[in-house]
Amino acid sequence: MAHLNDGTLRRMLDDPDAITAPDREHFLTCPECKARQEALSADAREAAALLAVPAAGFDAAAAYKNVTATPARPRFGFRLPILRPSTRPIVAGLSLAIILAVVATASVNVSQIFAPKTVTPVPVTFAELQTLPDLSAYGDITWTQQPTPEIGITKAEAEKVAGFSAPNVGNLPAGISSTVTYAAMAQTTGVFKFSAAKAQAAAAAQGKTIPTMPAGMDGSTLNLTMGPALLVVYGDLPKGENSGQFALPQLIVAESNAPSVTSTGVTVKELENYLLAQPGISPQLAADIRAIGDPTTTLPIPVPIQFATSSKVAVQGVQGVALGDNTGVGAAVIWIKGGHVFFVGGSLKQTEAVTVANSLT
Amino acid sequence: MDIEGARRITAVKSEQDAFEALFKAEYARVAGIANRVLADAQEAEDVAQEVFIDFHRLHSASSPYAAPWLYRAAAHTALNRLRGRRRRERREHEQAVDDGSRALDPQNVAELNEDRRRVREALAKLPAKPAAVLVLRASGLSYTEVAEAIGVRTGQIGTLLRRAEAALRKEVTRGTPE
Repeated sequence: MAHLNDGTLRRMLDDPDAITAPDREHFLTCPECKARQEALSADAREAAALLAVPAAGFDAAAAYKNVTATPARPRFGFRLPILRPSTRPIVAGLSLAIILAVVATASVNVSQIFAPKTVTPVPVTFAELQTLPDLSAYGDITWTQQPTPEIGITKAEAEKVAGFSAPNVGNLPAGISSTVTYAAMAQTTGVFKFSAAKAQAAAAAQGKTIPTMPAGMDGSTLNLTMGPALLVVYGDLPKGENSGQFALPQLIVAESNAPSVTSTGVTVKELENYLLAQPGISPQLAADIRAIGDPTTTLPIPVPIQFATSSKVAVQGVQGVALGDNTGVGAAVIWIKGGHVFFVGGSLKQTEAVTVANSLT
Repeated sequence: MDIEGARRITAVKSEQDAFEALFKAEYARVAGIANRVLADAQEAEDVAQEVFIDFHRLHSASSPYAAPWLYRAAAHTALNRLRGRRRRERREHEQAVDDGSRALDPQNVAELNEDRRRVREALAKLPAKPAAVLVLRASGLSYTEVAEAIGVRTGQIGTLLRRAEAALRKEVTRGTPE
């Protein structure tokens, strides 16, 4: 009979009963196998000694509390999607791009409410997103109603917060999880007050030169109104800020009142010229924002051109913007209907996102 | 609330409950695996919590492969950290020797630091699979559990373990000053 292999000899040290009877019989009568086992037994003993560590007590209950605790912990322990720190400037830039575009295209009569009725894509580059100026450097925002998202609430609770019914998906793509999480946010209002001194100081601190704020803009205000909004998330929400990753849920369906902006003390042309002349706003981005058709009724959707392609699509009988592609990595559709902004997106194909969008009731 | 809505909310709560149960049942073992690699209880807890969060983000807590997934992830994550900190440890070692020279028992302190450094450095040099087998087995997993975690047949574990132990001893011996 052939000699026992090293694996069998090694296992015999830990589990003498795990070998077959013929193997055992051979081992008992084979000096060579015994000698080999002696050698590997010495290695095993030494490895065990080398890997010995002081006993440590691990408190699972405390660790669980640590993992699920968060300053703004929602009811069932879910957290907002976590972004890598390096992506946060991009998201902040994206938010600014939206505000900038909304402001820059606000009504000619700025005292009237800006009320978008349709959407259009505005291409932005990664570099532009990173270099867009921080809006907080141009003044101060005061929230009269703080954004207070509630996550992991029931459908009824979400509808109560939002004040409208949750969008119902009539045609759910195959493979989408039946795990559903509702989130909602009540209406948020804030006042942004321009400050020429703050803008100049912030620019000087960064060694930049910015245009002088037009007369009348310093101290003037923008009144921002956003929401209420309701989100339906299919699939597991990303959790844990230690994970350090942003995972797109399988499907998000969101509905919100269209945002509105009113302004005092400055004309929209002055606003547009001033904001689009800031460092970090490329001539191309400025031209794209100026080229938007009807500035009083159009919500520009900034589209990072390196990460997403965009196209105009017909959805729910109106024009919407579709982002992403058909690879399934990520796609979204955004449209405005009846004074509400709708968003359907997730880790699905663009065709699936459009189908879901058209099936909403 | 409609029946479908109630069913979905129940599913969310069930998932959360299942995760909590999984966490509390396996945390000590997962942290123990990481500690076996890192010899640092606090860093091991960081690894364990990171592993659980990653699992929860990607999988259902009631998955049959939950425990093996966690064990393997703990071993690999800790080994990756070990490889990443080799350079840093070298600096700390030099500092520890300096500190040890001022301690009450300088010889023992220096030797302990030296032993731990050599073992971790040797472990970081082993190929991923044998290193994981070695760590999981040293953490008390059975041959069957190690095989499930690594994704190989139980019959292969003895061979992988034997090779890993021989390689570890060789690496440690190589790193020992004459």
